Amino acid sequence: MKSGRGENFIWPVRSVHFKPTNITLMKKLLIIVSFIAVAGCQKKLLDTAPYNAASSATMWTTDGLTDQGVTGVYQAMRLSIATGGASGNELYQLDRYAFTGQGRDLDALLGGTITSSSGLFSANWQQLYEGVKRANDAISNIPLKSPSAAAKKARYVAECKFLRAYYYSRLNQLFRGVPLYLENVDVSGATKPRETEDKIWDAVIADLTDAINESNLPLKYTSADAGNGHVTKGAAYALRGKVYMYKQQWANAAADFQKVKDAGYKLFTGSYKDCFTLANEKSDEMIFSIQNINQDGYGSTTQFYCGTRSSFGSCWNTYLVSPNGVDMFENIDGTKFNWDAIIPGYNAMAPAKREVYFLRDNMTTAEVTAAAARGLDMSLYLPVGNEARVKAAYENRDPRLKANVITPYSTYLGRPINGVDQTFTSRWPARDENPPTSDLFTDTKSQFFYLYRKFVYEGSTQLISRVTGPIDLPVIRYADVALMWAEAINEQGFSTTAVDLVNTVRARAGVALLNSSPTTTVTGQADLRERIRNERRMEFMNEGISFFDELRWKTWKDKVFYPGNGVKQVWGANVNTYTWQGDYIYNWAVPASEIQINTKLTQNTGWLN
Amino acid sequence: MLLAVPAFLFSQTKTVTGTVTDETSGPLQGISVTIKGTTTGTQTDANGKFSISVSTGAKLVLSAVNFETTELAVGNQSVVAVSLKSKSGSLNDVVVVGYATQKKVNLTGSVSSITASDLSGRPVTNVSSALAGLSSGVFVRQSSGKPGSDGGTIRIRGVGTLNNSDPLVVIDGIIGSMDAVNPDDIQSMSILKDAASASIYGSQAANGVILITTKKGSKNKTTVTYNGIASSTAPSGKIQFVTNYAQHMGLINESSVNLGQSVLFPQARIDEWKAAAANPDGKNAIGVPNWLAYPNTDWSSWIFHHKTAQNHNISLSGGNEKVTYLLSANYQNNPGIVDHTTTEKYQFRANIEAKINKVITVGTQTFASLQTYGLANTDNVYNFLSQTTPGVYPYYDGKYGYPSATEENQLANNIQAYLDGTGGRDEQTRINTTLYSILNLYKGLSFEAKVNYQTRFEETNTHALPINKWDFNTNILRVAATTPDLLTTSYSFNKDYRVTLDGVLRYNTKIGKDHDFGALAGYDEFYFNYYDFNASKLGLIDYSITTLGSAGNTANNAGGQQYDRAVRSLFGRINYAYKNKYLLEANLRYDGSSRFSGANRWGYFPSVSAGWKVSEEDFFAPFKDKIRNLKLRGSWGKLGNFGATNNGSANDYAYQAVYSAVNYSFNGIAAAGLRQGSIANPLLQWENTTQTNIGLEATIFRSLNVELDWYNRQTDGILTTPPVPLVLGTASAPIQNTAAVLNRGVEVTLGWSKRIGQFNLSLSGNFAYNRNTVTGYKGKLVEGYSTDASGNKVYTSNIGAASNNGTNTLIVEDHTINEYFMQTLYKGNGSYANTDGSVNINGGPKTGMIRTAEDLNWVKSMIAAGYKFLPVGSTALPANKSLLNYGDFIYADNNKDGIYGNSFDRKFTGTSSTPKYNFGFSANLAWKGIDFSMLWAGSAGMQYYWNDSYNTTTTRNGFGVTKLVADNHYFYNEANPTDPANNTNGKYPRLKYNTDAQNTTSSTFWLYNASYIKLKNLQIGYTLPNRYASKALITRARIYLSAENLFTITSYPGLDPEIGPSIGYPTLKQYAAGVTLTF
Repeated sequence: MKSGRGENFIWPVRSVHFKPTNITLMKKLLIIVSFIAVAGCQKKLLDTAPYNAASSATMWTTDGLTDQGVTGVYQAMRLSIATGGASGNELYQLDRYAFTGQGRDLDALLGGTITSSSGLFSANWQQLYEGVKRANDAISNIPLKSPSAAAKKARYVAECKFLRAYYYSRLNQLFRGVPLYLENVDVSGATKPRETEDKIWDAVIADLTDAINESNLPLKYTSADAGNGHVTKGAAYALRGKVYMYKQQWANAAADFQKVKDAGYKLFTGSYKDCFTLANEKSDEMIFSIQNINQDGYGSTTQFYCGTRSSFGSCWNTYLVSPNGVDMFENIDGTKFNWDAIIPGYNAMAPAKREVYFLRDNMTTAEVTAAAARGLDMSLYLPVGNEARVKAAYENRDPRLKANVITPYSTYLGRPINGVDQTFTSRWPARDENPPTSDLFTDTKSQFFYLYRKFVYEGSTQLISRVTGPIDLPVIRYADVALMWAEAINEQGFSTTAVDLVNTVRARAGVALLNSSPTTTVTGQADLRERIRNERRMEFMNEGISFFDELRWKTWKDKVFYPGNGVKQVWGANVNTYTWQGDYIYNWAVPASEIQINTKLTQNTGWLN
Repeated sequence: MLLAVPAFLFSQTKTVTGTVTDETSGPLQGISVTIKGTTTGTQTDANGKFSISVSTGAKLVLSAVNFETTELAVGNQSVVAVSLKSKSGSLNDVVVVGYATQKKVNLTGSVSSITASDLSGRPVTNVSSALAGLSSGVFVRQSSGKPGSDGGTIRIRGVGTLNNSDPLVVIDGIIGSMDAVNPDDIQSMSILKDAASASIYGSQAANGVILITTKKGSKNKTTVTYNGIASSTAPSGKIQFVTNYAQHMGLINESSVNLGQSVLFPQARIDEWKAAAANPDGKNAIGVPNWLAYPNTDWSSWIFHHKTAQNHNISLSGGNEKVTYLLSANYQNNPGIVDHTTTEKYQFRANIEAKINKVITVGTQTFASLQTYGLANTDNVYNFLSQTTPGVYPYYDGKYGYPSATEENQLANNIQAYLDGTGGRDEQTRINTTLYSILNLYKGLSFEAKVNYQTRFEETNTHALPINKWDFNTNILRVAATTPDLLTTSYSFNKDYRVTLDGVLRYNTKIGKDHDFGALAGYDEFYFNYYDFNASKLGLIDYSITTLGSAGNTANNAGGQQYDRAVRSLFGRINYAYKNKYLLEANLRYDGSSRFSGANRWGYFPSVSAGWKVSEEDFFAPFKDKIRNLKLRGSWGKLGNFGATNNGSANDYAYQAVYSAVNYSFNGIAAAGLRQGSIANPLLQWENTTQTNIGLEATIFRSLNVELDWYNRQTDGILTTPPVPLVLGTASAPIQNTAAVLNRGVEVTLGWSKRIGQFNLSLSGNFAYNRNTVTGYKGKLVEGYSTDASGNKVYTSNIGAASNNGTNTLIVEDHTINEYFMQTLYKGNGSYANTDGSVNINGGPKTGMIRTAEDLNWVKSMIAAGYKFLPVGSTALPANKSLLNYGDFIYADNNKDGIYGNSFDRKFTGTSSTPKYNFGFSANLAWKGIDFSMLWAGSAGMQYYWNDSYNTTTTRNGFGVTKLVADNHYFYNEANPTDPANNTNGKYPRLKYNTDAQNTTSSTFWLYNASYIKLKNLQIGYTLPNRYASKALITRARIYLSAENLFTITSYPGLDPEIGPSIGYPTLKQYAAGVTLTF
C-alpha cells in the first residue's frame, strides 16, 4: 500500500535521459513533462496514513492488536524509567525517602524546599493516570471491538482491572483522594473534582474483586507458563489485602492473605540473597513483578543508579544506603547491634570524628596528613589492623545486611579492566581502581557511603548495558504478604500466629527467630508491631516498599526527619541535613499546574499554590 | 495534445549583440536585457556584452540597479553599443514575484529584493545567515556557528504564529531549502512580505515567501569566473570561567559552607595548588612539572582555536542562440573553531536552457551537493565547558587528563576526550533537479510546465574511539581505554524526497494604448516523504574494524520511522493597469493538504491589491523634478499555515489518533505493546492569516529612495498544542486551532546614492517596528479577590485555564506571544519594626536580597507573624542555613495575600525574547577601482531570561564557575563580620552547593536587555585596471578583504545576543581575503 504511492508518482521522470542536443528526445520529454503537469494527478495523493503507528480506527479490532493493547497497559508501570539520568520516580528510587535509604544529592522533599509545582508530584500523577487511561481504554474497548476468544477477553479485562486498581492505589497512597475516572474522557471532560481517599480505596477494591471473581483469571502461573508475568488472582488477593491494610480492615486483609497462600505462593526456599537473581525471579515468592529482560528498552536501571564507577557500564551511585538502615540489622543471634561493642566509645564520639575507624590500613604520609587536617584523632588509627577492626562490625550480623549492602572493606565483583572482571574492595580513601589495588570507585570519591548490593549486577556478563538489568522488580512478593498478614493479625490482638509468620521470614533470612532468646522475645502487641515494622524495613531494602510503609504508619516524620538526620556518610556525619516542612507533607501536593488547569481540584491542606 | 498548437507564430528574428558600458566606458556586467513586452531576456557578461535574438521592430529594455533603464529600438543593426546613465533608486528593476516577474515600479505588494552583489565577498557558507540587515521587516538570527548548522532563522514581519514561523523558500519556482543553494549561484532574491504578494503560495505562505532565482547562461562568449575566499575564524564571544583551580575549590567550599555543610576541598589541597601555581616549573614528588600535575586549565582557550576556512567557486557561463548554460562548482571547507567540527561541501549546478524552436524552450536547473560533517559531539559545546573544572589537564603526551584532586568529581569531563572520542563519517547528499518547458503558444500567451525531484539523504557511521585518562599528578592510568569488545558501532541513514509537478499558463496583452492585462492560472502538487533507519551493535573485533557486519551479536538495535505529506493546489492571478498609473491585481489559491481530514482539507486564499502612481498624474508635473516617483499602494489578502517546516518532522497525522509501540516483556520474552501516543483532533484546520498592507514609495531629488509600509497581520486559529490536564496521561496533547495573534508594524527603507566626481557613494538603511499581541487563546485572564461561600476573602486566578501554563513565559490574551511572566524581587522601605515593636510589613531589605542581620531578622519576624516567603521560607528557618538566609532573594507579594512569591505574585514584564525593532544599515563607497562597504544589523526591544548553568550561583562539584558570578556575588561570614572576603553588596545571590530552590525561582533578576547592533560585514576591494588584467587574459580581477561579525555593541552579558538566550556553538568572527577573477 505504502510503497506504490511514491513510485507511481515519479516513474516517468526516471525513464528519461536528458540530452539537450537530441531534439527528438526533447520532444518526447516535453510530451511527458506536459502530460505529468496536466494529468499526472493521483486521486489518493492527499490521503496519507501514519507509517509508525496503528490508527484509532483499527485499534483493538484484531487478536494481535488486542494482545498489544493489553501489553501497553502493563507497560505503564515502566513509564518512570529514564535512562539518561534518574527520574527519581521509579519504585526503588522512592526508597531515598525511606528510613533505610538516602540519595546522593539532597532531594527537595527531604531538604524542605519542595513546592506544589515540583516535577516529583506532576510526574507521578501523570504517569499513574496514564496507566489508568490505558486500562480504561482496554476495559471499555475489548468487549466492544476485540474479536479475540471470549475467555481471553474476559481474562484481559480482569488483568486490566487489576492494573487500574494498582495505579489508583499508588495515586491514593501518595495524594490521598484523587479524581476518579473509570472511562476515558476527552480534553473537555477532564474536569472532575477529587474523591475522598476512602472512595478511591472502594473503587480499587471493586476492581480487584471483579478480577478475583473472573473465572478465566488463573490463580497462579508456573514459572514455565508463557503467561507468567501477567496478573493472577493471587496478585489480586495480595493487592486487595494491602488495600484493606490501608482501610484498617484487618480481618478482611488477613483473609485475602490466606487466599494468596492458598493459591500456592510461598517464600523462596533458597537464601535471601538468591531470591533476587535472574534464576529465581519467577519463584513462588514473586506474586507480581515489573518484568525486565536484558534488552535495550526492556531492562531495569538499578545497575545504573545504584551501582558505582566500578560496576559494569560505569555507573552512578545516585541512590545509597543510609547508615540508619545498616545499623538496624541485628546480630545474627537476634541481639541489637551496638557500635560500642565493636569500638568502645564510638557512639559517644562526634560522628565526623569516627571517620578515623574507617580508614584503610597502611595509609601514606600524605593520606595521614590529610586525615589529620580533617580533624581526625590519628592516635586512634591502627596502620595495621584498622580495617580488621571495623570489618568486625559487619560480621555475624543478619545475613540480609551483606545481601543488601556493600559494607566497608567488603568486595564486589565489578566491571572488567584489561578484559577481566575485577573484584573491587570498598576502601577509604579510595586510591586506584586498577589492579592490583582494585579500590571500588564511586562518583562521590571525596565521600564514603554505604552502597547497594541488591539489584546491582556482578561482573560484566549479566547485562548488555547499565540500563538493561534483566531481573524483574517485585511489586508484591510473598514476604510482603506474610509480614502484612502478621501485622493484620497483630492489629486485631497479639497472637503467636503473627509471631510465627514473622519467623518464616526471619528463618529464611538466617537470623535468630523471635522468641528464641531473651532479646528476641516478643512482649506484646506494641512490641510486635515495632518488630514487624523493623522486619519490613530490613527485608524490603531498595524495593520501593519502605517509603509507602512509613506513610501508612505515619512514622515518616519520626523515622526519617528526626532532628539532625540527613544524608550521611558511613560514620554518621551528615553531608546534608533534612528539614521537615510540616505534617502536611504526608499527603503529596496535587500538582500546581493541574489545579490551575482544573479549578475544581482542591489542594491538600498545607501546600501553597 | 499541447504540441498540436501551431508552433511558428512569430515574425522573423535575428541576433543582436551589444556592449553596455557606464558613463566612463567601463563595461557593465549583469545588466538585464529584455525584449519589451515579453519576459524573454538575457544579461550582460563580465565584458558588458550580450546577445539576444529579437524580431525586427522590437525594443530592447536594458535595466539594472543604479542605472537608468534605457530602451533601444532594434532596427537593421546587429551590433549595438549602449551607455547607461547611473541613477539612484531601482525603479525599473525587474523583480521576481510568485510565478512571474514584474517591474518594481509596478508592484502593488510589498516586496524586497536582494541581488547577488549584496551577498558577494562574504565569508559565509549559508545564504540565510548572510541576509541579516539587508531588508526591512526581515529579521535573521544565526543561532549557532557550528559548521554545517550555521543557517540563520528568518522571521518576516515578526512572529505571527506559535508553530512553524519559517518563511516558505522557493528556488527557481520550486519549494526547497535554503541550505540547498550555493550563494554564488544566486542571481537575485525576492522577499514577499505582504499577503498580496504571497497569497499565490496560499496555505504555506503565512510567514512570507523568499524567492531565489539562480543564474542563467548568457548567449555571448563563454566566461569563466573564479571566486575564492579564505578566512581566519575565531569565536565571536566567549563565556569566561574561573581558571584558577585554587579559587575554584574555594568557591565550591564557600557554597557548601553557605548551606552549613562541610567543605569539599580541604585547605591542604587548596594550599597545594597555590604553592604549585607560584612555582609552575617546579616538580612534584614523582618529578612531574607542577603546571601538569596541578592544572589550572582555561578550557575556553583550549577548546577554541583560530582556524582557516576556505571557499572556492568556479562557474562557466555561455551559450549560443539555441542553448545557454551555466555550470558551477563550489568547494567549501569550514573547520569551525572546535576540533572535529569541520564541514566540507561540494556543490554543483547545471542550468541549461535550449530553445528548440520559436514555440518551445526546454531547460533544467540541476543542483547536487555532497557535505561531510565533523563528528565531535558539540551540539552544545558549552554544555561540556560548564561540566568540567580547571583541575583537569586536557591532553599531554598522548594521554588525556583526569581530575587530579582526590575530592574532585570523578565525572568532571575532559572535553578534549569528548571531542576526540568518535570515529566514523557523516555525509549528506542532495540532488535537486527541475526539468521545465515553456511553450510560447500565442502572442502574450505561454505555458510553463515543471517537474522537480529533490532528495536529501544522510548516512552516518560512528564508533567510539578508545580513550584513556591519566592522573598526571600521580602518573596513574585512571580510566583505561575500553577494549574493542565493549565498543559500539552505529549506522544511521535518513532520507527525504519531494516530487513537485507544476503547470502555469500566462497571458499578457495590451488593449488600446492604456489597458494592460495580465492573467495567470496554474496547478501545483507535491508529495514529500521522509524515512530513517538506524542500527547499532556492540563488540568490535578490533578498534579499526567497525562495520556492522563484523561486530558482535550481544546487543543489536535497529530503529526507523517514516512519514509523508502532500499538497495539491490551483491558483490564478489577474493584473490590470490603466495608463500605467492605476494598478490592480487579484490572486486566488485553492489548496488541499494531507495534514487535515477530508472534510477540512481544502481552503481558499484570495488577495487583492492596488497601486496608484501619483507621479504619473498630470497634476503632479510641477513636483516631478523634486519627486521623480511617488506611488501609493494597498493590499489585502489571506494566507495559510499548516504548521510543518519544509523538511522537518511534524505531526503529519494529527487528525488521526495513533497508537505507537512500547516495550514490555512477559516471562523473559519481549512482547510488543501499543498505547495511544497522541490525542487526535479530527477538526484540525489551517490557521489563517489576514494581512492588510499600505505602502508608499517615493524617489526624491533623484537620489533618495523612500519606501514606507504599514501592515496589520491577523492570524486566527493558530495551530497550538495547549497543555491538557495531566489526568489525560502522557499521550501528546492534541494540536488545536486555538490562538489568534495580531502583528502590527511599520517598515521604513531609505536609500541614497550619489556620484560625486569619481566617487560613487550609496547608503541604505532599513528599520522595522513590530508589535505582537495575542488576541484570542483560551479566554480572558481573570484574577483577583472575591468572597467565597463561607464569606472568606479569597484570591483566585484562572491563569492555568487561560494560558499555556509556561514556566517563564505565557501565551495569554492581551499580551505578547510568550511574554515573560515571573516573580519580581521584593523592595522594602528599609525600616524594620513599627513603633510598637511589631514587624513593619512594608519594611525589610530594599534590594530584594537579605543582606544584613536586620534584613534577616525582619524575615524571621515576618514568618513568626504568619507571613510566608516562598519557595523555602514557609516555616521557621532552621539553624543550618539551608533555607532562607543571608544572600538570598525574597520575592514581592504582588497580590498582597501575605505569601511572598507564590504563583499569584508573578507579573507580566511587557517583554519577550522577540525583538520589537529590527534595523540594518549599509554603506558602499567606490572610487576608481577601490570599493568599500559595510553592513550593520541589529535588533532592540527584547529581553532574554538567562539563568542556566553559565549564569547561576548554584555550584556543583565537577562543574565550572563563571567569572561573572565568581567576581560579584554576595558573601557574608557570620562568624567574622570583618572577614575581608565579605561582599554584602554583591550583585548575585550567595553561592549554594547543588541545589537552590530560592534564587533559581524565575524572577526578573535574571532578565537582561538583549538589544544589540552588530557590524556584520566590512569589506574593502580593489578591481585591477583593465590594462593590467588583460595582459593576464583576465577580463576582470577583484581582490578584497572582508571581516565578518567584527564587533557587537550590546549590554547583554551572555555569549552573543544574536544567538539567543541559550548558549550554543558561538558564531564565528572571520577575517577573510578573497579574489574574483573573470576570464
